[in-house]
Amino acid sequence: MEKYLYIALFAPLVSSLFSLLFTATPKKLFTGIVASLLIITSLISSSILLTHILETGEPIHVTMMTWMQTGGLYIPFGFLVDQVSVTMMMVVTLVSSVVHVYAIGYMDHDKGFNRFFAWLSAFVFSMMILVMSDNYAGLFIGWEGVGLCSWGLIGFWFHKESATWAANEAFIMNRIADLGMLIGLFLIYWNTGTLQYDGAFAAFHQLPTATLTWIGIFLFIGAMGKSAQFPLHTWLADAMEGPTPVSALIHAATMVTAGVYLVIRSHELYSLIPHVGLFIASLGTFVALFAASMALVNRDMKRVIAYSTLSQLGYMFAAAGLGAYWVALFHLMAHAGFKALLFLGAGNVMHAMKDELDPFKMGGLKKVMKWTWIMMVIGSLALAGVIPFAGFFSKDTILEAAYSGNHMVIYGVLLFTAGLTAFYSFRLVALIFHGEERYKLFGVHPHEAYRFMLVAMSPLLLVAIVVGILQTPFFDMVEEVLNGHEYHIEHTLALIMLVGTQLFVGLAILYAYVKYANSKIKVPDGTSKIENSFAYKLLINQYYIPYAYEEYIVKPYRELSEFFWQKIDVKVVDATVDGIASIIYNTGEKTRDMQSGNLSTMLRWMVVGLIILLSLAVIFGFTVKYSGV
Amino acid sequence: MLDHILSILIFFPALAAVFGFMIQKESMRTYGVAVALIEFVLSLVLWYAFDNNVSGMQFVENIPLIPAFGINYSLGIDGISLFIIILSAFFTFLGIVSLTDTPKVKYMIITLLFLQMTMAGVFAALDAIVFYTFWELSLVPMLYIIGAWGGPLRIYASIKFFLYTFAGSLVMLVGMLFMAYFYHQAAGVWSFSILDWYRLVLPENFQLWLFVAFFIGFAIKVPMFPFHTWLPYAHGQAPTIGSVILAAILLKMGTYAFVRFSLPLFPDAAAYFMIPIAILAVIMIIYTSMVAYAQKDIKQVVAYSSIAHMGVIILGTFALNVEGVSGSIFLMLGHGVVAGGLFMLVGVIYDRRHTKLMSEFGGLAHVMPRYATIFGIMMMASVGLPLTINFVGEFLSLLGFYQQSHILTLLAGTGIIVGAIYMLAAYKKAFFGEVTNEANKNLPDINKKELFGIIPLVIVAIWLGVYPKPVLGPINNSVTSIIKLMHAKATTELAKERIPDLTKPRVFLMKKTINKEVN
Repeated sequence: MEKYLYIALFAPLVSSLFSLLFTATPKKLFTGIVASLLIITSLISSSILLTHILETGEPIHVTMMTWMQTGGLYIPFGFLVDQVSVTMMMVVTLVSSVVHVYAIGYMDHDKGFNRFFAWLSAFVFSMMILVMSDNYAGLFIGWEGVGLCSWGLIGFWFHKESATWAANEAFIMNRIADLGMLIGLFLIYWNTGTLQYDGAFAAFHQLPTATLTWIGIFLFIGAMGKSAQFPLHTWLADAMEGPTPVSALIHAATMVTAGVYLVIRSHELYSLIPHVGLFIASLGTFVALFAASMALVNRDMKRVIAYSTLSQLGYMFAAAGLGAYWVALFHLMAHAGFKALLFLGAGNVMHAMKDELDPFKMGGLKKVMKWTWIMMVIGSLALAGVIPFAGFFSKDTILEAAYSGNHMVIYGVLLFTAGLTAFYSFRLVALIFHGEERYKLFGVHPHEAYRFMLVAMSPLLLVAIVVGILQTPFFDMVEEVLNGHEYHIEHTLALIMLVGTQLFVGLAILYAYVKYANSKIKVPDGTSKIENSFAYKLLINQYYIPYAYEEYIVKPYRELSEFFWQKIDVKVVDATVDGIASIIYNTGEKTRDMQSGNLSTMLRWMVVGLIILLSLAVIFGFTVKYSGV
Repeated sequence: MLDHILSILIFFPALAAVFGFMIQKESMRTYGVAVALIEFVLSLVLWYAFDNNVSGMQFVENIPLIPAFGINYSLGIDGISLFIIILSAFFTFLGIVSLTDTPKVKYMIITLLFLQMTMAGVFAALDAIVFYTFWELSLVPMLYIIGAWGGPLRIYASIKFFLYTFAGSLVMLVGMLFMAYFYHQAAGVWSFSILDWYRLVLPENFQLWLFVAFFIGFAIKVPMFPFHTWLPYAHGQAPTIGSVILAAILLKMGTYAFVRFSLPLFPDAAAYFMIPIAILAVIMIIYTSMVAYAQKDIKQVVAYSSIAHMGVIILGTFALNVEGVSGSIFLMLGHGVVAGGLFMLVGVIYDRRHTKLMSEFGGLAHVMPRYATIFGIMMMASVGLPLTINFVGEFLSLLGFYQQSHILTLLAGTGIIVGAIYMLAAYKKAFFGEVTNEANKNLPDINKKELFGIIPLVIVAIWLGVYPKPVLGPINNSVTSIIKLMHAKATTELAKERIPDLTKPRVFLMKKTINKEVN
């Protein structure tokens, strides 16, 4: 089995290095094909590992070699495939296989075709390291690695100022969180003497709660950055500057869920500190609502989906924070499927519309893009949590978990957010695919995507439809590892809740259709009443948070840097050094006259010296005399 | 030969440099490359013959110079100095190979070979006077490199560099003389041998004064805030090769000397001054990173980034535990490779455009994709991405210091954020966007000769990031013995507490929790 572990892990690396060889050459179709095949190889190996885990329940643990060893520190490159990591491996390799194949079509005309696959496969490799590592340091390698690849892929079209800006923003914001994670690692090491999961988890039980709380907080700060939780969330929406397959893979299905994975992986820690867990759940719930509210009005198709990702990540943290780790993982898995599907669908639309992103400028695309329409509707139904699609099972369990834990506020907010989710998802579908064909005003001739791209998307479609029935087998698999238990609510009550939720979601969908799928929709021009309302302005400007960051953090930082350089470094520190030097120099210059060799000058100086020495002698004499008495 | 390999390493380049005067101009480059290659191979032989299991000094040579005062020509290396010597030979070789069209190339090569002599001498010396001699001699070739081949302000920059560091080292010399005097008082004989000094336990107040004297000399060399202002001038005016060697090797003399002298000689003082020095290190990290962000000249960005990295090295050194000190030594190598590489890369673009202002560039990734890729890799190594050489050193240095202070480490850790800010901003300005400047439209990509200089550095930067063990192992052994020595010599309570006792089984528990430190 170890063989498959190494294949699953290193096939993406080989793929990346292979594509790297051709980065400076024009497009070569075979790089895309070879890369995709290697990723699919990784998928197959992961599936073999999954069946092994399902059959035997025995985790596979290998230690490849030593990475760092000094003092008491020992960090190997060690890999662990257990129920949790194999789930993540399946998610990662499945979505990335789809995205790789899809990208062959999507990046068809791009100059950087080869470079794209090099980055994309490098990302998959980093992600595999992240989920397969058997220690926190290894996780951190993957953690930073995905950050790097995210930087490279957001800024893939580096001629665009907005893209490179967004790339740097994402990297730096993630770095802020990474510092938290690093401190968490330091705390773990100095308290337990190891960074290996098994060793650290065993030692956690002996540590005082205060220490554990700090560890939990710092690790979660790391998770907040990767998973774009408030207040480190702004990068995710800006990250939509990257090519759409990237958004599907990195900023929806895999990388952003790394934070959730970290919490799930450290569940032995978080179950010891439920108060931190409650904080995580509360923050997650807040983000779910907060992000959904921004998605309501946004006029950028990709940003709407990005906010919905943010909102769903909030759901996952809510579940994980409440101790329902398996539910969080299940929602992560289901979400990866339908959200990637939605993004790739959006990619088809963008291709058809010549990179137009405003859904108000589309409309009626159903006729030309039937398959994309079907996929996006199913993806949206799954996202909205309509029975029997994927999101229904996962989201409903989160609600149950909140309810049965008596966290009524969390339950209420999440339920309300489910309605918002349904509304904005179908607002998007209605605006893009139904109503008048507004795109004709802009002289665009849309067309359906390549057949093979649609076929490539089909596994995701399958996931979005059928993943619900896997809930029980999934629970059976991870139950033991994650100390999971099923949530039992009294039968009638459960039925009422179910019907109520479905009704609520259904109404939201209906409302979205009524409001946006009609022929009266015009391209907004900023004059309508709603566009001038305070709430709209607040939401469209993302609560003015990016503005505040720019105004109160970025600018002051830049000004302070200038000040430090121009005023402190040049005018104070360096000027002092030069000042001392010039005092010495000038003293030399001035006193040089004394040594002119002119007898009368020298005699005059001699007299001066004599007087000074004599007076000093007298002063010292008196001082000694009087102080001595 | 192995008995005298250190002497050969030191004097072979010097001798070759003297013969260099007789070589014709045309064949000088070949001659220089050949000499530097032999020197580099010799340093590799040294590594091959080095016994990884020995933590003490190896290849020791000892010839009395002035027996009456106990001054000996005494050499030896341990795991700490070994790799810096290899690195210096490596950089001299790469520097000469990738040397671009320089006026008076013959004299440049001769100067570089002399410089290599002094560098090998500093890191191999086991006698304070020998150490001091090479330490000061190293200023001379650098003075020439900046003063003769530098930019418009070269005279100012080179004299500033020389006088500033020279003034600092004089204070250090006074410290050395006192140290020998104290040794004489205690042992009855004169000795300048560092190993003899190691055995001397001084009272705390003597230690404090001597520590300060040494500190001034080292801190200016490193350079530590607020003694750092000579560095931006030196880098700004020095030719590429000068900056490369300065950043890669010469700055390491200061940090190396901290480990070789300050820690084992004055353990009580090191523990006493730990927090103030760490505060200086934190200032170096945050303040210079911000200054780097404000720079308009890409070479100055790299120059200031060097100071910030030196801050992390100092922090690791004064962690006073094996993790931190090993990390700081590893980071010395890492920073050498990465900063040296970055200076070389800046040189590539300077050769083409004769400007280093970022506003002159933009969109270089379109015209020079290979160059942009390599620069990107080195930049990421500089930012300290895992699996690159700098990460190992930074991680261990910060990890080590975390045992001493939560808050200072947290502050120093912001280096990974501010470091990313200035580097990414600089990269964005130079490489991303459209090509706006006409002059950049037809720039040739990085050529073979330049690749020959830079690719080995890229390989080392990744190799030692993925597999640091061959280097970290010997370092770890030698550092462990130093920490043991320090703990044994420590007299004050504070030092006993701050320097871990490695003879006892390790107990992993933070001495104070975050809550306590905050209160």
